[in-house]
Amino acid sequence: MLSNESAAENVLARLSHAIVIRDFVAVRELTDGLIQAGVDPFRVLNYGLIPGMYEASGRFRKGEFYIPEMLMSSRALKIGLDILKPLIRARNVNDAGRVVIGTVQYDLHDIGKNMIISLLTGHGFEVIDLGVDVSPQKFVRAVEKNEARIIAMSALLTSTMLHMKATIEALRAAGLGEVKVLVGGAPVTPIFAQKIGADAYCREAYSAPAVARKLVGLDPNAF
Amino acid sequence: MNVGLLREGKKLVLACEVVEKEIARYLDGSCELRCFDYGLHRTPENMAKALQSEIDTASARPGAYRAIVLGYGLCSNGIVGITARTVPVVVPRVHDCISLFLGSTQAYKAQACQCPGTYYLTPGWIDKGETPMSKYAGYAASYGEETARWVLHEELKHYTRIVLINTGAYTAIDSYRQIARKNADFLGLSYEELEGPSTLFRRLVLDSTHEDMLIMAGGEVIRQEMFLAI
Repeated sequence: MLSNESAAENVLARLSHAIVIRDFVAVRELTDGLIQAGVDPFRVLNYGLIPGMYEASGRFRKGEFYIPEMLMSSRALKIGLDILKPLIRARNVNDAGRVVIGTVQYDLHDIGKNMIISLLTGHGFEVIDLGVDVSPQKFVRAVEKNEARIIAMSALLTSTMLHMKATIEALRAAGLGEVKVLVGGAPVTPIFAQKIGADAYCREAYSAPAVARKLVGLDPNAF
Repeated sequence: MNVGLLREGKKLVLACEVVEKEIARYLDGSCELRCFDYGLHRTPENMAKALQSEIDTASARPGAYRAIVLGYGLCSNGIVGITARTVPVVVPRVHDCISLFLGSTQAYKAQACQCPGTYYLTPGWIDKGETPMSKYAGYAASYGEETARWVLHEELKHYTRIVLINTGAYTAIDSYRQIARKNADFLGLSYEELEGPSTLFRRLVLDSTHEDMLIMAGGEVIRQEMFLAI
C-alpha cells in the first residue's frame, strides 16, 4: 500500500517507465495497485501513463525506438487506460463531446491515430473512428450525423497532408465552419496547420487530450 | 527564386544510397556523387544535419563546385531547414524517392489515387533489407514470432499491393522480381511491376535547371511549403 505521497510518486514513475520498456504485466499491476491505494485515476493517467508515452515518443523521434517499440508502448498504454476507463466513466465526466477522427484521403497510416483514440476516450471524449483513407465528404457526413464538436485528422505523408486543407474547405462549404479542426501526424507542422486554417495542431499523440479539451472550452488540466 | 548556377567547378550530388545506381548511370567527370545512409529517412532531423554538414564543407572550398544537387525529395521534412551557402543547392520538387523512381510527381500521384495501399519496392530498397519479410525477420529476432506478426500486421494491415519499380539500373532484375513476389505472397497482397522512367534522375545530374528542380541561392533555406501548393 502507498503510505505516503512520495511512495505514490515513486509508483507513478515506475508506471511511466513500464510504458517505455513495454512491460505489459507491470503496467497492469502498477495501475491496479495505484487505484487500489486510492490514487485518483486522472492522476494515474496524467502522471503515470502519459509521461511514459511522452518518453516513448521522444525516443521514436531520436531513432532509438522504431515501429515495434512504439506499437508496444501504445499497447502498454492501452492496458493501463482500459483499467482507468470505467472509473473515469463512473465519474460522469464523459461530457467533452464527440470527436470524428480519421486519416486523410489516400493515407493509410493509422498507428498515431489509434493512439489518439485511446487517449481521447480516456479524457472524456466520445470518439467516432472513420478509419483510414477518409475523403473530405465522408468527414463532412460524419460530422453532421454525429454533431461532432471536433474533427481530428492525421497524415503520415507530405503527399497526402494537403487533403486536410480540402477537408477543411469541404466543412466550410457545408456550413460546418464552427466545428473545431485538430491536425497532426509526422510531417504536419504548426505553420502548415495555420496556413490551411486548422484550429489546433498536435506534435505528439499524448498532447491531443489537453489540446482537444481546450478547443471545446474545457480546462485542459482538469483531469 | 530561380538563379543561375555558378559557372566554375564540378557538380556535387548528395544522395540517399537507395538511389545511388539510378544516379550513377549519368555521372561523368564533371560530377561527383556522395551517398548517405538510407536509415536517415527514419530520423528526418538527422537527415538535414548530415546534408548540411556536407554542404558547408563543400561550399567552403572556393571554386570547387558550381552546384550541389540533392538526390532526395522532401522526405518527411528531412531536408527542411537546409541552407544553401555560397554554392547553389538544387533539389527535385518531389515528396520522396517514389516520385524519383516513377519518373514524376504526376506518376506517383496517379498510383497513389489508384491504389493508396501500395508498398513500393526497388532493387535499392531490397538491397537495404527494407522489405516486409526482412522487417518481419528483424522484429522476430528482437521480440519473437508472435509479436513480429502483430507488429507487421499493425504496420501494413491496410496495404493491398506490392509494386516493384524497375528503373533499369540493375541488371539482375529477375532476382529482385522473385524477392518482391515472395513478399507479396507472404503478405497475401497483389503484385505488380512498374517501369520507372529515369527522367528525374537524368534531370538531377544533367539538367539541374529544369523546372522540376528547386534552385536555392546562397542564404536560401529549404521550406516545406516549397513542395506543397497550399
